[in-house]
Amino acid sequence: MSSVKIEFKDLSKRYKDVLAVSNFSAQVQSGRVTGFLGPNGAGKSTALRCLLGLVNPTGGGAEINGGSYSQLVDPIHKVGAVLDSRGFHPGLTAKQNLKIMASASDINFSRIDEVLELVDLASAANKRTKGFSLGMKQRLSLAIAMLGDPEILILDEPANGLDPLGIVWLREFLQKLAGEGRTILVSSHQLAEMQNTVSDVLIINKGVLVAQGTIKEICKGRSLEEAFLELTLRKSA
Amino acid sequence: MSALLKSELRKLIYLRANWLLLLWSGIFAALGTVAPILILNSDNGPGRGAFSGTETPEGINGVFANASGGYLFALILGILIMTNEYRHGTAVGTFLVTPKRSTVLVAKLIAASLAGLVIQLFSFIFAITSGFIALTFFEPHAPVPAELLFKVFRASAISGLVLGIVGVGLGALVKNQIAAVTGAVIWTLIVEGLVVAFVESIGKYLPAGAIFGLVDVDFGENDFNFSIENYLSPGPATLVLLGYAALFSLIAMRTTLRRDLD
Ligand SMILES: Nc1ncnc2c1ncn2[C@@H]1O[C@H](COP(=O)(O)OP(=O)(O)O)[C@@H](O)[C@H]1O
Ligand SMILES: [Mg+2]
Repeated sequence: MSSVKIEFKDLSKRYKDVLAVSNFSAQVQSGRVTGFLGPNGAGKSTALRCLLGLVNPTGGGAEINGGSYSQLVDPIHKVGAVLDSRGFHPGLTAKQNLKIMASASDINFSRIDEVLELVDLASAANKRTKGFSLGMKQRLSLAIAMLGDPEILILDEPANGLDPLGIVWLREFLQKLAGEGRTILVSSHQLAEMQNTVSDVLIINKGVLVAQGTIKEICKGRSLEEAFLELTLRKSA
Repeated sequence: MSALLKSELRKLIYLRANWLLLLWSGIFAALGTVAPILILNSDNGPGRGAFSGTETPEGINGVFANASGGYLFALILGILIMTNEYRHGTAVGTFLVTPKRSTVLVAKLIAASLAGLVIQLFSFIFAITSGFIALTFFEPHAPVPAELLFKVFRASAISGLVLGIVGVGLGALVKNQIAAVTGAVIWTLIVEGLVVAFVESIGKYLPAGAIFGLVDVDFGENDFNFSIENYLSPGPATLVLLGYAALFSLIAMRTTLRRDLD
């Protein structure tokens, strides 16, 4: 039986004159890959940052396992996150960056080699991240997210800037993690890219929830892109 | 907490720039002792008439008091400890691991004060050693009393601990690394120095003035009317410095606890 792992509850965030997220309510089910879809500027990153306690909502809130992120005990053992900011020091090697994160949460250093292996980055372990390609940076971010072997993964546009090979790699990586029963919430503005990866979708546009459900319910035989266009047009009409 | 502190210390040790900063602090402090020895002993140097020479106890005091001058680098390191997180976007990861931001800040404040202490101990030793070596070229000179070295050591240690903390607060407030470091350098090398030297009534309460009071050595009669009498005595000077540490710890907390991170 699936249960609700992540819940947005009437979440709003205003930045001065921009209402980035507006009364957004949605649920993410346990053990599924949920695509968080919407065009650039729709409010995906803002909603995810609110969920992770990095940004303060102006209204409502968001919960993981029934409580706020900051209430989680040992959060990186429960939630792994990759956000669009780089999140590691360019002057340090991949391994040094991982050691800093691991030591902050008392994670055994043997886990570092495991996660580097997991994201195919073992050969670059001792290279400074300054020289990393975008794909390598993205994989290092994933390695950091996997340090605590979390059951929940929150990924903000992980495919951004990846070349086709990188995207294929990412898709297989996510499918492997999903196969292990993890809950994955992954945002994207490229709808086509997500069609075969996700089982559920949340669609957001201009900060507002447009639709949520399984990919079958949403698409009804159409492509995700067609469904998205129709739903957003209908909503704003 | 101890895990977080270890993580902070690891960041300090891994970054090459921090080791360079340590080296520079030594060179800077050593210039502070060696340059006056050279100037005071040159036949027609500008300092000759203004200050006592190294053949007098006051001259020796003036020279070795400068061995505590590396505190600017403790301040800069404190700034880097905080602003590196924003500059490289690592603040997000740091606060994801430890959502309780106050805990992270306490670890940073402790790490910064330890780092400031290390900088000041290193630059003190470097400056004292360089001073002794320079003096051997200008015999005879007045003896260097152990009490003088102790007083300067005390000022070095306390200023290092305090300015590391001040740096974290300043970095948290300003966020922009270049702006914070530039501001700190201009303030310390120009503004504060002038105020401390020429407006003692205010200057004695500024960090540099308090450190000056903490060094607590007699420079004798000189053209600038630069008398230790006009500054705080070591006890109150220490309290003023601890006050700065408390103030800037508070600033670090107030600015960071509820800030949106992107
Ligand atoms: N820190 C910020 N300050 C001001 N406006 C912001 C900030 N972050 C996001 N916004 C605005 O909020 C809206 C939603 O942005 P974002 O959440 O990044 O969307 P998405 O991730 O879906 O592309 C956009 O209009 C964006 O310009
Ligand atoms: Mg985004």
